[in-house]
This record gives sequence, C-alpha cells and structure tokens, in this order.
Amino acid sequence: MVANLGIPAVALVTEKFWPQGDFVAGSIGMPDIPRVKLPHPVAGTGAENMRRVAQSIVPDILAALRRDA
Amino acid sequence: MTAMLSAADEMAAVEHLHALRCTDGLPVIVPTAERVNRLVLATGLDPDMVLGTMGPAGGVATVEKVAVAAVMAGCLPDHMPVVIAAVKAVIDPAFDLTEMQSTTHCTAPLIIVNGPARAACGGISGGFGALGPGHRANASIGRALRLAMINIGGARPGESDMALLGHPGKFTYCLAEDEENSPFPPLHTALGFAPEDSVVTVIGAEAPHSVLYSPTGEIAEDARRLAQVLAIGLANVATNNAQLRNGAAVVVLNPEHAQVFQKANLSREAIQKALFGYCFHRPETLKAVAGGFAPKGDDRGPIHAFRTHEDILVLVAGGTGLYSMVMPTWCAGPHVNRFVSKTVEMNAFCEVTFQPTH
Repeated sequence: MVANLGIPAVALVTEKFWPQGDFVAGSIGMPDIPRVKLPHPVAGTGAENMRRVAQSIVPDILAALRRDA
Repeated sequence: MTAMLSAADEMAAVEHLHALRCTDGLPVIVPTAERVNRLVLATGLDPDMVLGTMGPAGGVATVEKVAVAAVMAGCLPDHMPVVIAAVKAVIDPAFDLTEMQSTTHCTAPLIIVNGPARAACGGISGGFGALGPGHRANASIGRALRLAMINIGGARPGESDMALLGHPGKFTYCLAEDEENSPFPPLHTALGFAPEDSVVTVIGAEAPHSVLYSPTGEIAEDARRLAQVLAIGLANVATNNAQLRNGAAVVVLNPEHAQVFQKANLSREAIQKALFGYCFHRPETLKAVAGGFAPKGDDRGPIHAFRTHEDILVLVAGGTGLYSMVMPTWCAGPHVNRFVSKTVEMNAFCEVTFQPTH
C-alpha cells in the first residue's frame, strides 16, 4: 500500500511466510516489490534477538531500496 | 464472464476441481452453466453485477461467481438471498476480509440469520445442533461463503490463508437465531433493523466453546453466576479478546439459559453490560501469563476485554438445556475485524421450480 503511493518501501517477510509474500505481491500486481527475508520466527524471540536480526538485515534493506530506485 | 472447464464426466469434473484447489476438500456439486444460471436467476440480479472484491487475491465477486460457489456448496435457489447478503457483509471494508483470511489465528465467518428469511430461505435452523451436521440450509449457505472466500478471495492454506490450524467452522458456520423461543427481541432489532427485516450478521469467530451452567432456582444468583461463567469462557486469559482486546465476541444462549436471565428481569442490554463488567483482568494477571502481549506500564486498574458492551453479541439458539456457547474472536485488523450486518433482499428474487436434469 505504501509502495503504491510512490513511497520507497521494503517488505520484511520471514522465511515461513515467503510463499504468502509471493501470493500477496502477485495479487496486488507488484510481483517485484522489494522484499527482505528474515529468519523465522522473529516475533516472540526477545528484544535482543530482534536487535540482532535488525542489524543483520540493514545492508539487505539498503540494497533492496537501491535496486528499486 | 466465467471461464469454462471441461471433463469427461461428473466424477472427473469433481476430481479436476479438487486438483485445481477449488474445493474445501470435500466433494462439490459441479457448477455447470445450467446449474449456475438457475441460481443466478433466483437472485433476480444481473450475473455480471459486482458485489465487491474479496481479498487477499482481490477477486471480483460478481453475482455469477457467487452463484458458482453456491452451486458447489449444494445451495438451493431459496438460499441465494442469504448467500448474497453474507458475501456483501464480508466484502464490507469494516470486516477486514483480506487480513482475516491471511491471519495465523483460527477464525471463520459466523453467519447469524434473523427475520423472515430464516423460514423463507430454505429453513435455516436455530434449534438443536444448529451448528452441527444435518441442517441443509445452514450447511450449504455457510459453505457457499467459504467457497467464495477460497475461489474468489483466493484463501488457500499455508499460502494465503495462514491459519495455523483453522477450525471446523471454516467449512461452514451458519445459524439462525431462535426468535420464537427467545425471551428477548431479535438480535437484528438491537442492531438497528426493523423486526420485519431479514438480516445476516457476519462476525469472524473462533469455534464455539461450550459453557456449562446448571441453575439452582435462586433467580438473582443464577443470573449472576451464569453471566460470570459465560464471561470466563468469553475472555479467559488465553483468548485474543483478553490479550489483544477491543474486538467483539458472540454469546449463544440456549433457551433455558436465556430464561435464567429473563426470570431475573435482565434484558439483552443488561446481559451485555453484565458480561462487559465481568470480562476484565488485572494487569498483574496479564503480566504473569500474556508474554509479548502483556500490558506495559504501571496502571493498576482492571483491563477490560471489550470497548463497550455492544461488542458482545448475544443471541438465542440451540436446543434447550445446560450448555450455551461463546465464540471469542481475533481482535486484529484495521477495523478490529468488525461484525457487519446486511439486509437480506428477498423482493428481487424469482421463483425457480426445481426440474431435475438427466
């Protein structure tokens, strides 16, 4: 929805939900929307682990945004 | 215009529909053009009339496509007004259909039917076992909505319907209120409709949870204890209603339990208010067990499961006895997966005589 407004956006999707990401990206007509894969699960793994995951994906998010530009 | 498939015979067609993941896993009636046209005709509506779009696929729900789902579900022409109204209800943006179809929570659209449509649209049961097997209209109407959600909305397990386990009500989940055996005015009149209206109210709901209460004959105490035990089932600390809060929920009173409240001179609204009052937890209780959804901060006051008593739908259905049912809900989505009521339009419908084909 954000990407549809022309605002650069990256979807963060855990690996278990990657197929759902494929489905939704296709159904909204944005099959190439930038996505970054996260390990699963992230929710419920504690603040420290979430910070670690967040730090590890920063380069992927920046790369996805640059590819989309 | 709907694409046509071909198959060697009826059985091959059913297998083909299974292979295409167009079924709910059970055999379906093959939606031939003739059968679909019969149900479209019964609606009195243009087959290409758009009712709305259904997420997460964003499929366009035309009258014809809904009729395809209804044929597959085994619907009769008489059922169509209710099927159309139920589809209109879930398409309403307040229902959050896309999000509800996609969630990991176990939730299914419960269709509650009020008014003359209960008898006129195929005899929708609100009596013994209304949510169980053996009631053709209940089973077919609920299944038609599910098949529309699968084939128009695109909900398929593990791919776009991410319910971790789901529940059996995802096959079909439809009942009528037993207005004749209820001591209260019909549910739809409490939602702003006229008694003579026919109305479907659709709410995303968990499977029914049984609540046992055996009255003792102490009128005021029976009413208090019944409300309290219903509230425990409705918003115990394991429910989304307790932990996420602000959603709605359903209480289905059997006629005997409804009488317990009526004898204590409690109206539907008074019952709702009593339930609202009991549906809370202390912050320390939630902090002790709710993990990531535990409340933050040092507030000491009770945390209510509902925003208002009006978010607790109370109706009467089922055989008479010691068991009522409660259905907690998901409590998420942009509109908190709001329940939606739609009028069942019966005037536009044509009479269709059943003529078996060979």
